[in-house]
Amino acid sequence: MVLKTIRTATDRWTHKDGEFAYMFEPYEGDEVVALDCEMTSLDPQKAELVSIAAVKIKGTQVLTSDKLDIKLQKPESLTGDSIKVHRIRGVDLLGGEVLGDALRQLLEFVGNRPIMGYYINYDITVLNRFIRPRFGFSLPNRTIELSNCYLDKVQRANPELVPDLQFETIAGKLGVPMVGQRHTALGDAITTALMYVRLLKGPVPA
Amino acid sequence: MSNEFDLSHPPFDLLTEEQQQQLLTRLDIGYFGKDETIMEAGHSSDYVFVVMKGAVAEIDARLAETDPDGGVIREYAHEDLFGAISIINGSSRYTFRTLEETIAWLIPKAVFLSLMESNEAFAAYFQNTLTEKARLLESRRSRQSGGGDMSAFMLAKVGGSVLREPVVLDSGTSILEATRTMRERHADCLLVRKGSQYGMVTRTDLLEGVVLSNMGLDADICELASYNLLTVQKDDFLFNALVLMTRHKIQRVVVFDGPRLAGLVELTDVLSFFSSQSHVIGLQIERAASLEELAGVAKGTTHLVSGLVSQGVKIRFAMDLLAALNGRIIAKAFEYLVPEDIRQKVCLLVMGSEGRGEQVLKTDQDNALILADDLHWPECSKVMEKFTQTLLDFGYPLCKGKIMVSNPEWVMKESDWKKRVVKWSGSVEGTGLMNLAIFVDAHAVAGDHHLFNRVRDHLYEKLAGNEVFYSYFAMPLRRFSTPLTFFGGLKSSDGIDIKKGGIFPLVHGVRTMALQHKIRETNTFVRLEKLAEQRIIKKDFADDLAEALSVLSQLRLQQQLKAAKGQADAEESNMVSAVDLNKLDRDLLREALHLVKEFKARMSHRYHLER
Repeated sequence: MVLKTIRTATDRWTHKDGEFAYMFEPYEGDEVVALDCEMTSLDPQKAELVSIAAVKIKGTQVLTSDKLDIKLQKPESLTGDSIKVHRIRGVDLLGGEVLGDALRQLLEFVGNRPIMGYYINYDITVLNRFIRPRFGFSLPNRTIELSNCYLDKVQRANPELVPDLQFETIAGKLGVPMVGQRHTALGDAITTALMYVRLLKGPVPA
Repeated sequence: MSNEFDLSHPPFDLLTEEQQQQLLTRLDIGYFGKDETIMEAGHSSDYVFVVMKGAVAEIDARLAETDPDGGVIREYAHEDLFGAISIINGSSRYTFRTLEETIAWLIPKAVFLSLMESNEAFAAYFQNTLTEKARLLESRRSRQSGGGDMSAFMLAKVGGSVLREPVVLDSGTSILEATRTMRERHADCLLVRKGSQYGMVTRTDLLEGVVLSNMGLDADICELASYNLLTVQKDDFLFNALVLMTRHKIQRVVVFDGPRLAGLVELTDVLSFFSSQSHVIGLQIERAASLEELAGVAKGTTHLVSGLVSQGVKIRFAMDLLAALNGRIIAKAFEYLVPEDIRQKVCLLVMGSEGRGEQVLKTDQDNALILADDLHWPECSKVMEKFTQTLLDFGYPLCKGKIMVSNPEWVMKESDWKKRVVKWSGSVEGTGLMNLAIFVDAHAVAGDHHLFNRVRDHLYEKLAGNEVFYSYFAMPLRRFSTPLTFFGGLKSSDGIDIKKGGIFPLVHGVRTMALQHKIRETNTFVRLEKLAEQRIIKKDFADDLAEALSVLSQLRLQQQLKAAKGQADAEESNMVSAVDLNKLDRDLLREALHLVKEFKARMSHRYHLER
């Protein structure tokens, strides 16, 4: 956290007149971006990006009409194992976007809005591994961790309870339907967004 | 894919693929907590809502205090759509509030309006009355269930392919000439024009004329013709022509286009179009040489109906056909048991749903007998006992309320009947009025119909101007509440009694109005048509009520057939549960119940039932 603050201050200084200066402005609006990436590995230092999806949340509405859904060209590391996880085969990525263009689109889409997701720091770490070499900064955005929001709500009602934080379990407890196929970036981003607006709406069933 | 926006249901399946894709990219999702107001009455809506999960009630806030349902007008659950009317009308008439946490797709107003503008069918869906909507859903349903052929037949008009060019000759043509023409034209019959009138001559008529009546070959054929023709209009359903032929035991009907002769429809042609057993059963009834044979035929009707309905035949047609068949079975059984000379001095009535021609499966026997005042018939009770037993053997269950000819209460002389119906009409509650309601649906099936007509006209006469009577008569309308709130919380729904909540109020309300306006028809659909013709209710409303009744009857029949097959409890043959219904049926049921409720409110007002 301290590290991020120092890093962001430095980045802001470096980019204060640059193309992405707006990324460093404090955010004043009421929107949040729900983000999810599908990757080839669970190790953030090795994982390659397969697809990136993001959807804006405004108040308690999930703006599925204003979304980003990018499939990337086949990375070197797309192996048999990850194909089993995501069911995305090499051929599905043919014609996908080049990583640099994809990241630029993402930055423009997200802007300086807070970024929300499920284990979001993992996604951000991987994204930064590709953003920093290309644009010279890391994502400065405030992040919101869905599982923490959920944990807070549960423990506010019952401090002793240690809830199961699996994605499907949280969705089930919150009564949020899975939208789209599980393990597609867009489907997970929308489902995460729905869980988030649900959490804004009031107490959580134990 | 789960929880994707479903484009396969109306109205979204009416959109072109391009429009569907356009819609999908513009959808948002909204989350609403429990008891959250989504839209206030009087406000405009920014979205059309389609429920993904949860339940929403449409509430008339002005009624919230007094109405037993808390002012709830409709409820919306999975995949149901609301808010469209609010956009079309500019503001919402009612308040929309969630009953539980709800997630809904949001179609932005601008997108919705542009779809309405660019797609006529889509726009029409939202402006349609129940009648039109039902037709739309019906045709889609039959397409989905693959029963396309049958419903194509059901929608076939007389003016379609089976219409035959008639051979028309002028009066004065000789028998010889006529026979020659028929041979040339390969016709079995011809029409004779006599002035502005048409008569029909068949080959049989020619043969009998020459052979049995000793007419010469040069005799005028117009003396052979029968002028009592049964006709249908060109734009009538072909099925109606079949029902007419079945009912009157004839082979052909003459078709008119307005006042103009359009052609002939022959039974064989209709049957080749329509390969059901309906007319076969009709013929078997006529040819049955003994009660045993007749019993066999009678048992086939249930099978026929379930067959027809499962093939997608509209329930109203099935009811008409079954009423025609049942009427003839009962009349035939009566002829077997009652000697000819007696038959001319009695009149057999069928009552209740049978009298209205609205039963689909065999329901309880409801019948009565009127005897001429001068008839002396000591064996009456013995024969009537036998008659009831015979119908029981045919598969018509006994009436639990003993409203049958085996009960002397329902077998009376004409003058006693007159006194009895007036006495019933004078009672202010209970059995008397109930008996009267049963009698009002009576329909003469055998014997001398004049006996019945005189009793009925006597009743009309006595009731004229007696407004208070109708108020009491209509009162049972309020006995059962019409459930509108069983759609929400689908999990816990255990069904509603569709007969008490939907069919009864409709039938009884229409019956009350028909009685007041001396409409002799007993069928609810026909009564509605007559009431509309006499401008007692608006045509559109009458059409919608008729559609509501067929929707309700259809759902009830499905349930009854299930019970008959042992898939559902016999006790629950009137119970319909929202959980078992598909989206189309649920939409229709919701609309139908809504109409019933509105009808009840109007009847309450008309007959001052709020006391």
